Amino acid sequence: MNHPPFMRPFMRGLMLVLAATPALAQTTVAVPPAGRLLASNCFQCHGTNGRGGLETLAGKSASEISKELMEMRAKSSPKMMDMHARAYTTAEITLIANYFATQR
Amino acid sequence: MIKRRDFIKWVGSAGIGLAAGGYGLGALADDKKKKKPSSGSSSGVYTNTGISGRVVVVGGGMGGATVAKYLRLWGGIGVSVTLIERDASYTSNIMSNLVLNGSRAISGLQYGYGNLSSKYGVKVVKGEVSSIDPIGRSVTVLGGVRYPYDRLVIAPGVDFDSLPGLETAAAQAAVPHAWKAGPQTTALRNMITAMPSGGLFVMSIPAKPYRCPPGPYERACIVADWLKANRPGSKVIVLDANPGITAEVNGFTNAFNVVHQGVIEYHPNVVINSVDASTLTVNTNIGNLRGNVLNLIPPHRAGKVIAANGLADAGGRWTNVDVLSYETRVAPGIHVIGDAAATTQPKAGHIANQEAKVCADAILRLLAGKPLDPAPHTNSACYSPITATTASWLTANFAYDPATASMQPVAASAGEAAARSADNYKEMGEWFTALMGDSFA
Repeated sequence: MNHPPFMRPFMRGLMLVLAATPALAQTTVAVPPAGRLLASNCFQCHGTNGRGGLETLAGKSASEISKELMEMRAKSSPKMMDMHARAYTTAEITLIANYFATQR
Repeated sequence: MIKRRDFIKWVGSAGIGLAAGGYGLGALADDKKKKKPSSGSSSGVYTNTGISGRVVVVGGGMGGATVAKYLRLWGGIGVSVTLIERDASYTSNIMSNLVLNGSRAISGLQYGYGNLSSKYGVKVVKGEVSSIDPIGRSVTVLGGVRYPYDRLVIAPGVDFDSLPGLETAAAQAAVPHAWKAGPQTTALRNMITAMPSGGLFVMSIPAKPYRCPPGPYERACIVADWLKANRPGSKVIVLDANPGITAEVNGFTNAFNVVHQGVIEYHPNVVINSVDASTLTVNTNIGNLRGNVLNLIPPHRAGKVIAANGLADAGGRWTNVDVLSYETRVAPGIHVIGDAAATTQPKAGHIANQEAKVCADAILRLLAGKPLDPAPHTNSACYSPITATTASWLTANFAYDPATASMQPVAASAGEAAARSADNYKEMGEWFTALMGDSFA
């Protein structure tokens, strides 16, 4: 490479920074966030990542979402959303609620 | 002393590979510089999950658009996604029955691929597949361009059998199915408005499985509702190949027998022998019927790219898949989602959207060498207009059953609306907007 001589330390520094950056196809691969795939069942009505749609869920408190889903399960004349709440175990509801609580 | 921003500009223009690597300049300590979009990437996706690979998606409908978006959204800059779609935009089948009573225009049901490209960095290619090489892992389009892949997702929707007597383009134009929204939908609307009072609208429903189980019954309701108000004395004859109503049995039985009593005439177990397009007559096991309008929905099969590439291992019509990943049984590395896949789930846009997310998550795990999610859920939901102002709904959430390796409805979550209502009709519009946003925006 035809760098002026004074550039070389900068290039070495740059290479070091690049090497420190997590490279693709190496060992540090992100795991899918817990609850994300389950929560994605809600996106068709509540928007991608729970933003928008019939009602925004992104950023709502996890305990509030959990509480509402549990209340929906007990409704005697279920509407569509109440039916969906019946599909999940309490463990799954916790995962879903925690996921939306962390969305912005 | 060279200023830092000049140095970065110099490095960038020298093409040292920062941009091509997709790292952006956020990797460096000074994070405030404007990020330069990398080639093949876009302004919307910056995350480096460490996952890399090339995925090609064939088909830009509910399944294909959603899988392309989520592969990028969840996979990040290392996952290259190419979407091959032959049409310039997607026309939604959902809500297309509302074109038939004049409530909606077909132009309002079209969705382009601009967001997929600008927000998520999906490479959108307008083209049609000419061949697939499952061993060499590449897709070739008409014209010869070849797209190599690590994983291929095919989401081609459905194609239709030719009913006996409807083998020519002219005959099919005279007897449209309008079950793939577009020009046929508008043509059918025009045929309906051209009907005289006291006219006959004859429609047929194919044997299961077909796309959108409640859809044909919904169409009968919408057409009957319009004819009642605008062409009094007209009737809607429903010729169903199935032994009974296949979805929302309570709601549609009420709709046929009470709401549209005297207008809709429903016949189960009907076999169509032949059709005469010139006289609009259909010959069946219950006799000959001649209509002012003939709207026959033929039996379905997976979009033709499936059979053309040896992937139709389910009765020669559909593709068998592992529902934890939607990978086909017959071709490793190839995944099929949506209507074209043979699963226990209904064929519908809402569920194709969710299958796409399960598939995207699975492909990203496979690219990263991680195990699949062992317990995915999918869900179906559908609102059906019963009149111009009221609607009903059905829904079901599916859980993975390891014993049968299939998605099974969670009993408590499956059901239909207790009654049609104006509230449901309003929600229908909101649901549709949200669903299409999740898939295309």
